[in-house]
Amino acid sequence: MKVTIKSWTGVATWRWIANDENCGICRMSFESTCPECALPGDDCPLVWGVCSHCFHMHCIVKWLNLQPLNKQCPMCRQSWKFNIH
Amino acid sequence: MAQNISPEQSGAGGGGSKHSDDSLPVKDNHAVSKRLHKELMNLMMANEKGISAFPDGENIFKWVGTIAGPRNTVYAGQTYRLSLDFPNSYPYAAPVVKFLTSCFHPNVDLQGAICLDILKDKWSALYDVRTILLSIQSLLGEPNNESPLNAQAAMMWNDQKEYKKYLDAFYEKHKDT
Amino acid sequence: MSDIDVLWGDVLKIFPVLGGLNTVPAEEVDEKVYENVRRHLSILGSVETFAAVVDLEIQSVIRNVLVPKFWKHFQPGVVASEQSASSGINDQALSIEALPDKNRLFTQFIDAINELYEGFQSLAHTKPRLVQLLGSEDKVPRSVKMLQVDGIKTCLRDSLLAQLPPTFSVVVGAFYWVHFKLFTKSSHLALATVDSDVFDELLCIGCNFDVELCCCQKLTEMVNQTNMKLFEMNLIDRLTGSALTALIKLKIKEHINDTCMGIFDRSHLKQLETWLSDVIMSWLTNIFTEWKSKDSIHDEEVPASVQSFKVKLTYFMYETFAQSVISQFFSIIIDYPDSIPAIDDLKICMEKIDMRVYLTESLRSSLEARILHPGVNTMDILTGYVAAIKAIRHLDNTGVILEMVTAPIKDYLRKRNDTVRRVVTGLTEEGPTDLSEELAKGETVKDGKESGLDEFSNWENWEPDPFGIDANVMQYNSSRVMRSADIISMVVDIYGSKELFMTEYRNLMADRLLAQLDFNSEKEIRNLELLKIRFGESLLHSCEVMLKDVTDSKRINAHIHGDSNRTENQLFDISSLIVSAQFWPSFNKESLQLPEELENEFKKYTKAYEAYKGNRTLNWRTVTGRVNISIEIGDRTLDMVVSPTLAVIIYHFQNKTEWSIEDLSTITKVPASALRRRLSFWQNHGLITESTPGIFTLLEKESEKSQFEEMSLTEADEEDLESAMASASDQREEELQVFWSYIVGMLTNLDSMPIDRIHQMLKLFASHSGGVEFTQDELKHFLQRKVREHKLIFSGGVYQLAK
Repeated sequence: MKVTIKSWTGVATWRWIANDENCGICRMSFESTCPECALPGDDCPLVWGVCSHCFHMHCIVKWLNLQPLNKQCPMCRQSWKFNIH
Repeated sequence: MAQNISPEQSGAGGGGSKHSDDSLPVKDNHAVSKRLHKELMNLMMANEKGISAFPDGENIFKWVGTIAGPRNTVYAGQTYRLSLDFPNSYPYAAPVVKFLTSCFHPNVDLQGAICLDILKDKWSALYDVRTILLSIQSLLGEPNNESPLNAQAAMMWNDQKEYKKYLDAFYEKHKDT
Repeated sequence: MSDIDVLWGDVLKIFPVLGGLNTVPAEEVDEKVYENVRRHLSILGSVETFAAVVDLEIQSVIRNVLVPKFWKHFQPGVVASEQSASSGINDQALSIEALPDKNRLFTQFIDAINELYEGFQSLAHTKPRLVQLLGSEDKVPRSVKMLQVDGIKTCLRDSLLAQLPPTFSVVVGAFYWVHFKLFTKSSHLALATVDSDVFDELLCIGCNFDVELCCCQKLTEMVNQTNMKLFEMNLIDRLTGSALTALIKLKIKEHINDTCMGIFDRSHLKQLETWLSDVIMSWLTNIFTEWKSKDSIHDEEVPASVQSFKVKLTYFMYETFAQSVISQFFSIIIDYPDSIPAIDDLKICMEKIDMRVYLTESLRSSLEARILHPGVNTMDILTGYVAAIKAIRHLDNTGVILEMVTAPIKDYLRKRNDTVRRVVTGLTEEGPTDLSEELAKGETVKDGKESGLDEFSNWENWEPDPFGIDANVMQYNSSRVMRSADIISMVVDIYGSKELFMTEYRNLMADRLLAQLDFNSEKEIRNLELLKIRFGESLLHSCEVMLKDVTDSKRINAHIHGDSNRTENQLFDISSLIVSAQFWPSFNKESLQLPEELENEFKKYTKAYEAYKGNRTLNWRTVTGRVNISIEIGDRTLDMVVSPTLAVIIYHFQNKTEWSIEDLSTITKVPASALRRRLSFWQNHGLITESTPGIFTLLEKESEKSQFEEMSLTEADEEDLESAMASASDQREEELQVFWSYIVGMLTNLDSMPIDRIHQMLKLFASHSGGVEFTQDELKHFLQRKVREHKLIFSGGVYQLAK
């Protein structure tokens, strides 16, 4: 007997490659949106800092804007720099 | 008008609003309210010993918290009530936390204001009600005597026995306010 | 003493009644005789005394002779139907109908009345003679009752009534029944369209004789005469009144049944009113007055008693009609909108008569009997519900009746677990179902707050709620405006909350999307837009994300397939639906382990995805999907589309033709029970057989084909969909746990609280979307339980944590 698979339609869930499940700032899941967005994924992406902590882009941007002086990572207090690869 | 709008009722909540990076998040109560609801749920489900908090009335931006004095400190066995006032910009700005029960402590003044770094310049968006309450709880056993709000307490701290005697009397007198 | 005899003879001449004769005296008596008697009487005694004697004699004649003779005609033995003797007033109408021989009674009655009349006539003559005797009217003493105006009539009437036998009303009824038939004969003829041939053979409607021998004319005359006599004797009102009323009511009922039953698409009220005045009223006028022909009546001449009669009868007619309509209301609901005229009629009736309570009760019970039982499928109940809403709303704008009648429907529908599914299907199905039409009308649901403003700005037109509302119902729906919400909301309202409805909608949408995997999303989007307009965005937000996932997946698939690097060495085509897990209902816990070769293909796909979308990866839910496979076995080739589990199972049989359940379960990570179910699928196709218990073998040869051959896709089990929600009771248990932690938190920080504050707080903070409502009563039970468990203290009206 021979079984040939001609095509397969499957279902998968996507997730961000991060070492955590929730954004520390807004406490929402990474796979969900930040509190102000409607659509997850491309429209509400994650960003990483050089300290390797990651947040919703919108969340960390807000945080940085509200810091008067040195912009720090909320997690580790190191100076924040976007890690863009 | 109540400041918390539950997600079901607000028709415009979270619907694809545009961001400009300079905009302050003052307008969007909904996000803060959502986060506070989440925090409340986590707090309830965690059922942690020694700390507790709950919104005081219908407004989710105002909570009442309770901490138990940590064991092996002079505050052991005592319970203190605090008020937590969350601003619109939470968690980007710290809540205002005050002692409701009069507390005799080097870093707590007569009005209940607390001198704690994480509540001021060392605030991080990652802190939440739980961490705040835990920090205050540990502050009880480890005061910062360098910058005291209550000079008398700061001075008495080194003599733990005397301190405890005074504290107990103080607590008895004020605990039910 | 011959003088006395002579005198007595003269007296008798004047007053034959004293001699016991109650016939009309034939001769006129001379004035001389009067003189004589007068003279002698004044010698013997006073004339007044004599007058008193005459008076007494008349009375006694009436009581002892005339009246009993009259009543003898109507002894119970004479009247054939025995039942009517014992029936009460209410059954008068029935008993009239039940009379076997109305015609006989009719003649009996006429005879009796004639006799009575004769006697009356004779007595009536005494008065003028007495007057003549006494000289003038003024000399008639007051004490002589019989000579007062209408004295005889009064006495006659009273005596008759005093000796009224029980069956009399029956007879009267018969009399008037025949009378009515005669009277309406002409109108009947006008209505009936009868063939002239047949007509000749029929009995005449009026008199039941053959047409040629029709004696209607004569009968009518007799009747008229009798009526006149009755009228003259002033007996019509008292003697015949109740029987007449009963008969008329019967006739009205009959007429309404004949003309209006079952016909809803015409208005009947006008016709009924016309009938009432033309037929009934003119008949009554005929009886009560002395006119001869129908055409000569004018309104002013109609006596007051008849007028008041008319008012009563009109009321009765409306009531009967309304009752008739109400009893058929269920059919009216079904026939809507054709039955609108009937509803309009009923509306008018209800303005005149308060039948609200009757209507509500009747409707409720008929609905309960007809559709609220297990024999009816949910879709039908829903259709009925929608139709009922439309019909009742047409009847009563305020929505009060609607609320009360539909409350049991809603309760019942809530209990059916496929209701939401049906509603959603009804909303989104192809073709014009009621629900989708309503949806497409695109009205916005009135949010409670907005319409509150309307209410205040419209205060001048405020009306109090109609009377007779059940207090329980009013608790739930205080705002009048909410009642005017449209049909879609009413359907959604079955659950009392939009949230639960939306959640179910979301789950169903997820099911649909997963089942089809590559469908046309336009229709879904359109429906979603309509629902959004109606219910607001936030509830349906996750549905939007789901749809976006579908379109995105298509794009991603296209991109990955277009990537030439990957298509080399590809065993088979993979396309995927990539979902954002947070926005879809939670998947169930099934698992499936793919064989290595297949797994590799998926890994390749994942890599391609990762390259395309930075920082993201895929978790495959292997057990969901569709596989297009082709099986070459023996000399046949089967092309099928099956679920992944089935594909993997049969795939494994390639390498090894014999598998034990345990081995297969280990390698596929499917539990044995589920595995067995899947295996039966292949068994039915004749590919596998259970050679020994627990061991399955491949069948190379084409053995006896089972009757399930040629199965197509739909046979593939549909169990690879998520079970979105746990069972209701589990959920509730979970919820109670959550509530308890909240209550503990509340009371720890806020000391003590009364139950309504606790309830309020729970509602504000602890409810989650899709949760069923937690009433204050339930809360009370829960709290009391905790008090019993010594976890709470209840004192002074507030709850506290136990120390």
